[in-house]
Amino acid sequence: MRLNFVRSFIPCIPLYAFVAIVMLMVMLVAGCERQETGPRQPIAFSHARHAGEYQINCQYCHSGVRKGPNAYIPSVQMCMGCHQLVAANKPEVMKIRQAWEAKQPIAWMKVNTMADFVYFNHYPHIAKGVDCKVCHGDVASMVELKPFVKVNNMSWCVDCHRENKANIDCYTCHR
Amino acid sequence: MELKRRDFLKILGGATVATALPGCTPKKPQSLIPYVIPHEEIIPGKSVWYAGVCRECPAGCGIHVRVREGRAVKVEGNPLNPVNSGSLCSRGQASLQGLYNPDRIQHPLRKRPDGSWEQLSWQQAEEYLLEQLNGVIRNGKGNSIAWMTPHLTGSLDALIEDFLGAVGSRRRIRYEPIAFEALKRANRISFGRAEIPDHDFASAKFILSFGADFLETWISPVGYTKDFTATRAFDAGAGAKYVYVGPRLSLTATNADEWIAPKPGTEGALAMGMVNVILTSGEAKGISLADSNEILAMTRGFAPKQVEEITGIKAERIRELALEMAAAGSSIAVGGGTVLGSDTEVATLTAINLLNTICGNIGKTVRFDTPLTLSHLQSYADLTRFVQSMEQGEISALFFTETNPVFSTPPALNFTHAMTRVPLSVAFSSFMDETTAQATFVLPVHTPLESWGDYEPKRGAYGLMQPVMQPVFPTTKMSGDVLIAINDKIGRRTTFSTSEQPFFEYVKDRWNSLHRQFGEKQEFDRWWTEALANGGVFRPSSGPFAVRWTGTASELSGILGELKRGETPPDFVLVTSPSINLYDGRGANRPWLQEVPDPMTQITWGNWIEIHPTDAEKLNIKRGDVVQLTTQHGVLEAPAYVYAGVRPGVVAMPIGQGHSEYGRYAKGNGANVYALFPPLPLSSSGGMQWSNIGVRVVNRGEHVKLADVAGSDYLHGRNIVQVVSIEELLRQTKELQEGTYKEEEGFGKPGSASMYQEHEHPDHRWGMTIDLDKCTGCSACVTACYAENNIPVVGKEQVQLGRELSWLRIERYFDDPPADPQAPHNPNAEFLPMLCQQCDNAPCEPVCPVYAAYHTPEGLNAQVYNRCVGTRYCSNNCPYKVRRFNWFDYEWPEPLNWQLNPDVTVRSKGVMEKCTFCVQRVVEGKNNAKMEGRSVADGEITTACQQACPAQAIVFGDLKDPESNVNKLREKNKPRGYRVLEELNTQPAVVYLKEIRS
Repeated sequence: MRLNFVRSFIPCIPLYAFVAIVMLMVMLVAGCERQETGPRQPIAFSHARHAGEYQINCQYCHSGVRKGPNAYIPSVQMCMGCHQLVAANKPEVMKIRQAWEAKQPIAWMKVNTMADFVYFNHYPHIAKGVDCKVCHGDVASMVELKPFVKVNNMSWCVDCHRENKANIDCYTCHR
Repeated sequence: MELKRRDFLKILGGATVATALPGCTPKKPQSLIPYVIPHEEIIPGKSVWYAGVCRECPAGCGIHVRVREGRAVKVEGNPLNPVNSGSLCSRGQASLQGLYNPDRIQHPLRKRPDGSWEQLSWQQAEEYLLEQLNGVIRNGKGNSIAWMTPHLTGSLDALIEDFLGAVGSRRRIRYEPIAFEALKRANRISFGRAEIPDHDFASAKFILSFGADFLETWISPVGYTKDFTATRAFDAGAGAKYVYVGPRLSLTATNADEWIAPKPGTEGALAMGMVNVILTSGEAKGISLADSNEILAMTRGFAPKQVEEITGIKAERIRELALEMAAAGSSIAVGGGTVLGSDTEVATLTAINLLNTICGNIGKTVRFDTPLTLSHLQSYADLTRFVQSMEQGEISALFFTETNPVFSTPPALNFTHAMTRVPLSVAFSSFMDETTAQATFVLPVHTPLESWGDYEPKRGAYGLMQPVMQPVFPTTKMSGDVLIAINDKIGRRTTFSTSEQPFFEYVKDRWNSLHRQFGEKQEFDRWWTEALANGGVFRPSSGPFAVRWTGTASELSGILGELKRGETPPDFVLVTSPSINLYDGRGANRPWLQEVPDPMTQITWGNWIEIHPTDAEKLNIKRGDVVQLTTQHGVLEAPAYVYAGVRPGVVAMPIGQGHSEYGRYAKGNGANVYALFPPLPLSSSGGMQWSNIGVRVVNRGEHVKLADVAGSDYLHGRNIVQVVSIEELLRQTKELQEGTYKEEEGFGKPGSASMYQEHEHPDHRWGMTIDLDKCTGCSACVTACYAENNIPVVGKEQVQLGRELSWLRIERYFDDPPADPQAPHNPNAEFLPMLCQQCDNAPCEPVCPVYAAYHTPEGLNAQVYNRCVGTRYCSNNCPYKVRRFNWFDYEWPEPLNWQLNPDVTVRSKGVMEKCTFCVQRVVEGKNNAKMEGRSVADGEITTACQQACPAQAIVFGDLKDPESNVNKLREKNKPRGYRVLEELNTQPAVVYLKEIRS
């Protein structure tokens, strides 16, 4: 009797297996942290040099944060503003000059990505005086820019919003 | 087989790792490509708006195009342009789908002898064209070169004239199928001016339309709707009376207080009867006694009793109508559309002119000081003469610019055959329409949104167009640039051709002369920049000037006498009208215009034949039965739409469908109505006969399922659309002013008991007030919603299955039929824009197992797509049926996807969606306010539907702000306010204001 009862489950095993696999997969993917290194950039640009050593303000190049949602990646023209003269003969800087002369944009690799369903806006954060570091990590010490893991974690965003009494309505970021 | 527990776990573990591994690889890195030199106007993530002119129909409304990161994503009306003052119809909004149409021609094409196309480079194409042209010119046959365009004004028009001048030809055809020939003829007879006047509905207190569908397609529908609401809405004060005369209950007709359907073709006699009554009762205004006597003489034979015999309208009714119009002070009578189309059409419009004259309307509501440039169009008769010369081989080269005569002329005229007699036919075209397909040579040109240009719809309104983005296809060119290059090579050398942007310089040069002509004090460059930003220069009229009645009795008695012959109609009379969505057929390849339902019939993706129930019964026709219509000139089949909105003995069809070419969305939908039209122009006016055609109606014995979205034709006693009589409303309003007004009490009414806890809305509570008395049902809001919210077009089959995804729909309900089936039935339609009601006690919220539907602190019923697992419980529980389910992943064929609003998520399969009150616009408004350190101002945030509405029926705002317009409207119109199905205690945020019946 008892055996029969167990046997009756046997035909269902593939189904259980499938369900278990799916659940495990979901857990694994969710737990799958992003790589600790950033993608390889076309030009070996060092934030540690610019933001760290020379103390250039983040907003000098990423001025979009004051105007709206996007921070901007600086245009080639922006880079050339300094590199027309500064370190003009270094091999990596030459690449900028080449792009400038060829009037070709530089295809930088995206480091911090957000889910498609998130509509982030830099401006309100900057206006409230949130330091760039809070979300981007200590960029001034990064030679190669690495993604800041927590940016892709909604609970981290919500915690901060809660602490600072900011809006935690879903429509704040999702629509 | 025994499977041990341990084995099972091993297999499971292995399989899990194998499947999970690929999931753990990091997301493929994406690149971020900044500008080489940043564009000074473009801020990534922020919209830029460019002004322009809509070229989807001759009305020439002003537009604002929203551009994000260099891509046009939405078209709205330009508030500065007096033609439409800020609103835009469905067709105008769908111009984006012309720009991004996946069926655009991308390369110059030459037809091989076997009929296939050979792709050329632009250089080859230009060389070939010049070689051919020079051949013609060298043979001394320059005057056999012809150019055919739709209605054009301004620079492109001048450039074509330049070209024809250079080759020594005067063969220029400006053709529109809807060209108002009869109106021009009647105005020449009446006032000595062969012009189309401007109409001022805003100051008329009595509106009488003889078949002119001025809320849909007639002359300038957006502007007229605006004016119409201004004079008629209860809010505006008096509330003008409006009567519609014509055989078919069009959308324009159903908005009238009364629909009168005389025998087809006798509407002019009715006007004459009214003239007779007004003159004999001494109510005429603004004319001398001598004129009055002369006009009275013309109305001999049109005494009310006699008119009753001709028209079938009771003499008493004619008398009342006439006296009411005369007593109104300011009135307007207009004529067009379905009452025309017989040889009496000029007489009918002359009679209407008489009526306007004796009511003192000429120079007041009918204004010749700002006539429409449409007056310069040639007539259909001119076109037929031109086709004859094509047939006789007199034309050696024929150019087309964005015109499609092969489709928009009666096939019996055989334009296609005439084209085979022209050795070189060149189409400057963006789409492979019927005419382009017949041409021997095709040059792919920019759409208007990619081009420079200017357009003057009426005197004094100079609209300016600019390219709102880089061309979608790098291999298309601006018509003007191509023309300047050609002009240059054939010897009309100009300074422009050396410029990098020749046509731009040409337009600017023309505007320079306008600048001098206007004697502007401002320097040109500033004036020009301002004009660009404003979308043109709009000069006020120098004031109405007196236009005198010049028609003499001797001249007119013959013409007007024709109206006395009450026409004996054949079995059936066919009347047709341009479709509100597709106009004369040019909108047919825009998927939105196919999917947004026709407001009256609620049918999508196809056309239909309207037939009266009594006639249908005789022929045993039911709704959806395939009916064959036969005239002397052609045959077509289409499904029947049986309803009492056409006079018995009349069948009606909308023009616009039945394309055999023109792209994937246009092809194969419905039947081409032009096939039924006679090829000969009407002798009286020279216009095309598109109504009042004798037709044979045969039931084909087949049945098709109409792709209509109407749940039901009638309300079945539910108070979804509520109507109040003017008497009752006035009584209630008086009570309100005296403070004695008592609101109805009941379950679900504000303040009634409820088992639900009230929501707290700390900052804002968004709400909407929709005035049903203003709503005309035009559906511009529906298209705006599609454009703003990335709503997919699902196609005919899915609509038939009830799976359309519109977040906002216009519900149409007919008045209930009378209990006695023999009694006459006026099916007068009411419209109700239905969207998510953003309920306080939302039935959708508690049933969602995953909290995808929830209530936001600002009172919106949010739908969180990433939470949604697609149980559809919410939709089942929604009493308003406004939730839509994504049954598939819908696709936008490249480059249609370029139009998608980057601020709104594109939903995927298995997700429920619905109206969000345009939350992206709300958030943008709040952010803008935050950036300027202030709170959101009332009226600053508009929803897409509100922005588009030409009638301004929709008002959105913050209910927490007592001074907001949305609140004030509710307060002021308290007796009219109601909420749909409020007895369910859903506490919606949308309040409708009852429609008023007089």
